[in-house]
Amino acid sequence: MDASAAVMNYPRRDARDKLSGRTRYTVDRSRPGMLHGAILRAQAAPARIVRLDVSAAEATPGVRAVITGRDAPGLHGIGVADQPLFAIDLIRHQAEPLAAVAADTMEIAKAALAAIRIETEPLPAAVTMEQALRPDAPLVHPDWTSYEVLFEGGGRSGNIAWEATVVRGDAEAAFSRPDVAIVESNFRIGRQNHLAFEPRAVIASYEDGRYHIETSTQVPWTVRNVTARVLQIPASSVRVTVPPVGGGFGLKFDCALEPFAALLARKSGRPVKLVNSRQEEMLTCLCRENAELRIRSAVTGDGEIVGREAVVLMDCGAYGGEQIFLTTMTAHTLLGNYRLGSVKLVSRAIYTHTAPNGAFRACNGVYNTFALERHTDEIAARIGMDPLAFRRRNVLGAGDLGATGQVFEGDALGPMLDRMAAVKASRPSRKAQAGRRLYGQATTVGTWFVFVGPSAATINLHSDGSASVITSGVEIGSGTMVQAVPQIVAAELGLRPEDVIVRAADTDAAGYDVGVGGGRTTVSLGAASRAAAIEVRRKLLAVASQMLQTPAEKLELRDGRIEIAGIRGSGTTIAKVAQRAQELLGPLSGVGAFTNSPVVSQPGCARGHFIEALEIPIFAVHDCEVAVEPETGHVEVLSYTVVQDVGRALNPRAIASQIQGGVAQGLGYALHEEITLDEQGRIRQTNLETYRVPLATDVVPVEIHLHEGAPSRGPLGAKGAGEVPILNVAATVGCAVARAIDRRVEQIPLTPPRVLAMILDKAPAVRLPHIAERWEDNVLPRPARKS
Amino acid sequence: MAEAVAAVEEGATPLAGATWILRSPIRDEKLAGSYVAVSGLAELRAIETGDREIAIGAAVTHASLCAALNGSADCAALVQAAGAAANPAIRNVATIGGNLCAFSFAASDLAPALIALDAQAEIYGVSGPERKPIETFLAARAHLARGWLLTRLLVPRNGRISAHARLPLRKAGDYPVAIVSVSAKRSSDRTLRSVRIAVGSVEPVARRWPALERALEGRSLDPEEAAEAARERVGDFQGRDGVEAPGWYRMQVLPKLVRAAMCGVLAQA
Amino acid sequence: MSISLTINGETHATNRDPLTPLVDVLRDDLALTGAKAVCREGFCGACTVLMDGQPVVSCLLPIASAAGRDIRTVEALSDGGELSPLQKALEQHDVVQCGMCFPGMTVALTSFLASNPNPTREQVKQSLVGNICRCTGYERIIDAVLAHAQAMQGGG
Ligand SMILES: Cc1cc2nc3c(=O)[nH]c(=O)nc-3n(C[C@H](O)[C@H](O)[C@H](O)COP(=O)(O)OP(=O)(O)OC[C@H]3O[C@@H](n4cnc5c(N)ncnc54)[C@H](O)[C@@H]3O)c2cc1C
Ligand code: FES
Ligand code: FES
Repeated sequence: MDASAAVMNYPRRDARDKLSGRTRYTVDRSRPGMLHGAILRAQAAPARIVRLDVSAAEATPGVRAVITGRDAPGLHGIGVADQPLFAIDLIRHQAEPLAAVAADTMEIAKAALAAIRIETEPLPAAVTMEQALRPDAPLVHPDWTSYEVLFEGGGRSGNIAWEATVVRGDAEAAFSRPDVAIVESNFRIGRQNHLAFEPRAVIASYEDGRYHIETSTQVPWTVRNVTARVLQIPASSVRVTVPPVGGGFGLKFDCALEPFAALLARKSGRPVKLVNSRQEEMLTCLCRENAELRIRSAVTGDGEIVGREAVVLMDCGAYGGEQIFLTTMTAHTLLGNYRLGSVKLVSRAIYTHTAPNGAFRACNGVYNTFALERHTDEIAARIGMDPLAFRRRNVLGAGDLGATGQVFEGDALGPMLDRMAAVKASRPSRKAQAGRRLYGQATTVGTWFVFVGPSAATINLHSDGSASVITSGVEIGSGTMVQAVPQIVAAELGLRPEDVIVRAADTDAAGYDVGVGGGRTTVSLGAASRAAAIEVRRKLLAVASQMLQTPAEKLELRDGRIEIAGIRGSGTTIAKVAQRAQELLGPLSGVGAFTNSPVVSQPGCARGHFIEALEIPIFAVHDCEVAVEPETGHVEVLSYTVVQDVGRALNPRAIASQIQGGVAQGLGYALHEEITLDEQGRIRQTNLETYRVPLATDVVPVEIHLHEGAPSRGPLGAKGAGEVPILNVAATVGCAVARAIDRRVEQIPLTPPRVLAMILDKAPAVRLPHIAERWEDNVLPRPARKS
Repeated sequence: MAEAVAAVEEGATPLAGATWILRSPIRDEKLAGSYVAVSGLAELRAIETGDREIAIGAAVTHASLCAALNGSADCAALVQAAGAAANPAIRNVATIGGNLCAFSFAASDLAPALIALDAQAEIYGVSGPERKPIETFLAARAHLARGWLLTRLLVPRNGRISAHARLPLRKAGDYPVAIVSVSAKRSSDRTLRSVRIAVGSVEPVARRWPALERALEGRSLDPEEAAEAARERVGDFQGRDGVEAPGWYRMQVLPKLVRAAMCGVLAQA
Repeated sequence: MSISLTINGETHATNRDPLTPLVDVLRDDLALTGAKAVCREGFCGACTVLMDGQPVVSCLLPIASAAGRDIRTVEALSDGGELSPLQKALEQHDVVQCGMCFPGMTVALTSFLASNPNPTREQVKQSLVGNICRCTGYERIIDAVLAHAQAMQGGG
């Protein structure tokens, strides 16, 4: 098949209803007899539950079900099963669920919550990672040794939920070379809330012994499996369907409210709707985690990085969750981008008495790239080399070794830097626009990946010449399920994309899928769909070959027809062939599946990693110009330019939309969006008055250049394009601001007060006393691994 | 009017645009038991431009104030304040009175603008209407005995030129972390005469900056000099610490806002 | 006490508490779920409706204050299922993502364009200060609005 047949600016089919307010997201739905659920959440933490008395709630007229920890004994988690549905005995973070009710109306549900008697006893807290790492720190999980470990290999101890390390080459020797400069940088990063417009929401019912969960999620199969785990029921008794999702960004990459609603539905025998209020979303959002990093490099005078060591502390909050997995991604991001002679890295997910964190578009890649690129600028300044020349000299290219010893294929970052340089040379700088403000500019590089994993698809080709694609893919707004997937299938089958129906996710109908996120939708669901289409095509051609008395190799599918190659208008319609096939063989269908193929790393070098090498890396080069108001610390972005590796752009316009949106979210992270915790570990920004996301007046049009042709195992050479646009925004803005104000930028977001404090030299340097001076002292002692 | 006042005296809470009241749950405040709507009162919805003063009804919305008084030389700072506060949809319903009577709201744009313009607040209590300088009203409003309504704001027409400078953390759309409103008598030689400078959002309640007024009185209108004079005196304020900005920041940015407001005044001089 | 509301030209009586935000009546009682209650504090604009032609946030509008006023929701913009010219332009430029902000965004823009048929880019941005979009980064929406405004000018 000619891949170009799949390339087009095909518009989204769901725009019409979304524009006219007719789309029914989960929050907009209801069912006959539906009850309203509400959750009682802890006011203060940590605490021991002395008494939890729900009898008054149960006695409230109109209340149909009340549930507590007794109803959901199972623990779940990623890597380690450490999380219960409700706090049982111990409250570990503010707003942790204690009980839930379902009632005829929301007012009754709320009144019932107010009638629940709870007595607690405060416990000593470890709110910051510094507190949690003290030798005498209170343990967030006193029973951590008893938890089921779901993935082997990570270091664990007390408040260290997970530790992953990479050791490659002889870093010790590198750092003691006489001809190197040693550059050290420290960073402290805040949390970021997704602010998906549709909050987490679910409607659950229990019928004929099975649960039906209709929910706003990116991961229908995780919802199915986690619900089963905490309810201790067979996973096959849970069916998950997903209406259009009003924004995800990683927030909905985990099971959330679904098990509560499922339990309430079973207990009440009625459908139950549960929706988080905005305040609940703010308090319990699985934020991009706060983190603290130290990175140290040994660099020769001519710019060779002979050694790099780093310690990364990631706050997972009260439960391990996604951060346990994300310790893996530090190696590929903080130690990505550049050739390194030797490396030593430890990444730790730390338990604290705060709300759990989670996945967010490009996850820790965003701040690791910020830290790495700022560190890179500090190196260049130290050895007196132009920062761009330093990058150009060191970026990974074909045949180079990554942090874990994987060998990279193809040259991407080098040519992309050249492309950016050419773009910049072709237009004037915006410096004049800065006026009397301080001007800064920076170009940075970034490496992210496609979280490949298993996907499945079934395609039915109908006798009217239309096809339906059945997957567990969810349309969260990125457009993949309404653009790339039908485009790929249509191109393979010679149909118009409008003739390809894409079924909304239903775990009863489609095979397993990891979920929509991690840049994997186009790649994995696209590849599975393509494989299914290839099977249908093969069957179709066999029948057509008979009908047209022409060998299959001589037939072409296009515009809804099967034609003899080279003879336009010959042959017949696909509908006719499908009809014929149906008569001869029964309805035509095909199934497809896709998953990762192993990529090798250097044996024995990575420990505790879920992924040791990147199967499909994605690269990005960003540039921006900023003006900083020296009297107020306000940063204005004057221009923003992106060169993004997309493999092959199937829908260039849709990719451009993702880039514009991702950069805007990145600008929020870099400049505006701040979450802080008080001494009790409570999130202080509980609404949109204090949590400031970019508005129309805060963004600029992004100039976009797509880099095509880098190797990819994705369908037709495509890569994920929606996740990576946010990757180096904080890095680029951070480097540009650092140059504008001539200060070490060690923290984000760069809010006006923070920037002004730096300009006035009022901002103390980031000190990380809980990271030991010697790298080795930050690593748990572990028995040598057999290899 | 008398009916509304009587209702308030009996314990009902005035309700205007409701953009503050309906956010009570988010502030963890309970809604009151009963409300009396004031937006329907014709007296409160009028804007009257007389020879000596402009009377603005308390139930006038931000948007209608801008529409009615745009270009009026006597209240430039007020129009700028009402036109830059919040966002278009909020300006369509939020009222002047609601803005000034939300006691715990420190970031009001209108308060410093009205102080700079030497406006008076008209309060209608059981004993009838009464006028107070706006600054007195703002400082006292939380402690007034129940049973009053804010009915009108009176801006004198005395040839003052004025300007309003605010600093949100984004370009627009959020509460300003600091505000400076300035007015002065028009003078032929561009010297500042009877200058009034009001500062909002820095402390819990907006107030004048007397030391800076004295320092600039009679001097020629030079925004740079005014900023310098402000820089020397930011210690006159005790900035309030908030989730969005620390107190020192609110003070630190005042010189810049003074300069911006003075530039605005200069443009009209 | 019953309150009478005029919504998209139809009259509805409701016995809800007078302080009930209009958005709840629209969504829960009238199945007009186009307006979204995303923040309930006036910052996001996802619940925007027109009151006597002016955009207001229905999350902070007590039904008592809406009584007797002409309320139009996003559902009225595409009466009979036919998209308005502005909505068509947004569809053709493929600017929608998750879509949650668009009902409020199109209501606000419809009213803005009615009084500013030929706006500058900066004016469009200023008009959207109360309409957050978390997905798109705005600029492509603004491109579509400007192209639409120009087309309307050209076409008379
Ligand atoms: C998203 C958003 C952004 C905002 N940004 C800004 C901003 O940047 N700058 C700014 O200045 N404001 C801003 N505001 C407005 C401000 O916070 C208030 O919400 C608003 O001014 C209140 O006006 P209202 O008419 O809605 O008052 P209401 O909510 O009706 O009432 C507010 C208070 O005043 C009392 N009251 C009302 N009228 C009278 C009267 N006539 N006599 C006695 N008491 C009365 C009420 O009892 C109540 O206590 C913003 C509001 C929102 C929602
Ligand atoms: S929900 Fe009304 S403005 Fe956000
Ligand atoms: S498209 Fe998702 S919020 Fe705007």
